[in-house]
Amino acid sequence: MASRKEVTPALVGALAEYAELPLAPGRAEVITSMLETWIRDANELSRKMSSAKYWELAPATIFSHPNEAEEGN
Amino acid sequence: MKPKKATEMGKATRELLELSLAQAARLVKSKEISPVDLVDASLERIKSVDGRLSAYITIFEEEARKVAKAAEMMIVAGHDLGPLHGVPIGLKDNLAVKGFRTTAGSKVLKDWVPDHDATVTERLRRAGAIFVGKLNMHEFAWGGTSENPHYGAVRNPWNTERFPAGSSGGSGAAVAARTCYGAIGTDTGGSIRLPSAINGVVGIRPTYGRVSNYGIIPLAWSMDTAGPMTRTVEDCAIMFNAIAGHDPKDPSTSRAPVVDYTEDLNRGVRGLRIGVVPGYFFHHLQPPVHNAVKGGLKTLEGLGAAVVDVNIENIHGNISAQLTIEAAEPSAYHQRWLREQPESYGGDVRSLLEIGELLLATHYLQAQRYRTLLRREFLEAFRKVDVFICPTLPFTATKVGEMKVVIENGVEENMLSAIMQFTGVPSLTGLPSLNVPCGFDQEGLPVGMQIIGKPFDEATLFRIGAAFQSATDFHKRAPNI
Repeated sequence: MASRKEVTPALVGALAEYAELPLAPGRAEVITSMLETWIRDANELSRKMSSAKYWELAPATIFSHPNEAEEGN
Repeated sequence: MKPKKATEMGKATRELLELSLAQAARLVKSKEISPVDLVDASLERIKSVDGRLSAYITIFEEEARKVAKAAEMMIVAGHDLGPLHGVPIGLKDNLAVKGFRTTAGSKVLKDWVPDHDATVTERLRRAGAIFVGKLNMHEFAWGGTSENPHYGAVRNPWNTERFPAGSSGGSGAAVAARTCYGAIGTDTGGSIRLPSAINGVVGIRPTYGRVSNYGIIPLAWSMDTAGPMTRTVEDCAIMFNAIAGHDPKDPSTSRAPVVDYTEDLNRGVRGLRIGVVPGYFFHHLQPPVHNAVKGGLKTLEGLGAAVVDVNIENIHGNISAQLTIEAAEPSAYHQRWLREQPESYGGDVRSLLEIGELLLATHYLQAQRYRTLLRREFLEAFRKVDVFICPTLPFTATKVGEMKVVIENGVEENMLSAIMQFTGVPSLTGLPSLNVPCGFDQEGLPVGMQIIGKPFDEATLFRIGAAFQSATDFHKRAPNI
């Protein structure tokens, strides 16, 4: 497993800047711990889903066209 | 014939309120009671208990009485509006009602008055329902406690020191407290099923695309649904009949055929196969929840169903996928408001929206790929079983204000992750699921079990739920408030 950089309020502040999300003073400290947990879990899921076993899976967000009636044609 | 007044019938208000929705509708239809009596009883009940529950954000006192009078005149004149004619119903405050404030439990929308009805609102109205009010909720439906910083923390009628879960906490509390005969909730990650379980009522999350989301303030587009919450399964099926079906205004709705969801209620469960996922469905639970849901399975076995172990290889990981999607999509919807008026949000929702902006696009898309995987596994498993049954959530109602919960071994866990342990699966897979009350803990707090079905097979969920309620009396017990 790759070594993990600790999520700090300064890092959260930098990420927010990239996202053009102005964080009020103190907000980075409030969300740091929760964000760290969520990113850790999301990274774990990403590792799993990027494995060769699942290479053919498409996300559940695509447009699907099960039949013409579904499309109202 | 003019319908009899409740007083002439010698029925106390409380007796009227103890009627199920189906019974009340039948009595209106036969002109034995008037919609005016039902609405008066509901409004009286709201006045007497809502100071302790904060279940309502807006009460439609004048409007409801006016509509009730008209409904009475119509029934006298022989015009039957439909299966909900004259029945008092509550709506979660994220459903648009034309001409009436719709806040979504927020300060951001505190003065928003829609110029249109949500499709669900419109369909219930067309079926004859009378709206008695808009129900309190977790702000913007983004959370599971219904501790609303703007309109008050909703409280559980079984014990007002305890939470009602959420986000449709007002809907659950209002139905359990007999202030209305049914309510509409919305469910993204569990927001109908969780408050249904915690308040001891029935609630269904439909198949994604079975019920229109038009006119409902979104939380996460790819998982949002709306559905009824009632005291009995029959009532839930009656309301579901009124709202299910394709809607040209909502392109995510399906054209799959709609059936009469009350038709199979008396078919029983003999021969049905119930799946249980070993190592997940009965793992990590408070003991009273474990015992009540196991007891529910035994009851169904006694009625002729078979319980089968079915492995779902990739069920672990669903909570992270759920949180990632539920973080990213609302943050996109709220992006402008979060920059223009961040202070208008309650602390918890503001944090969740900020976090949703900081996750990666790859996190979101891997979570969406995981949904494909999980759905595929469940659809494959449905070759072996008709439904799955598990607890709706692993614990009973915690104290109002708690953001941590202890499930076992004295370990405190984050409320949001813990509460989604079982409801996230149908949310991610788009499958329908029904909460049915199945017991109480040692403090008299309700426990619910979740029945998960095949896509568009809500009828089987209602069938099983109705069989269960015909053999048990959990749904007949009332909170002492």
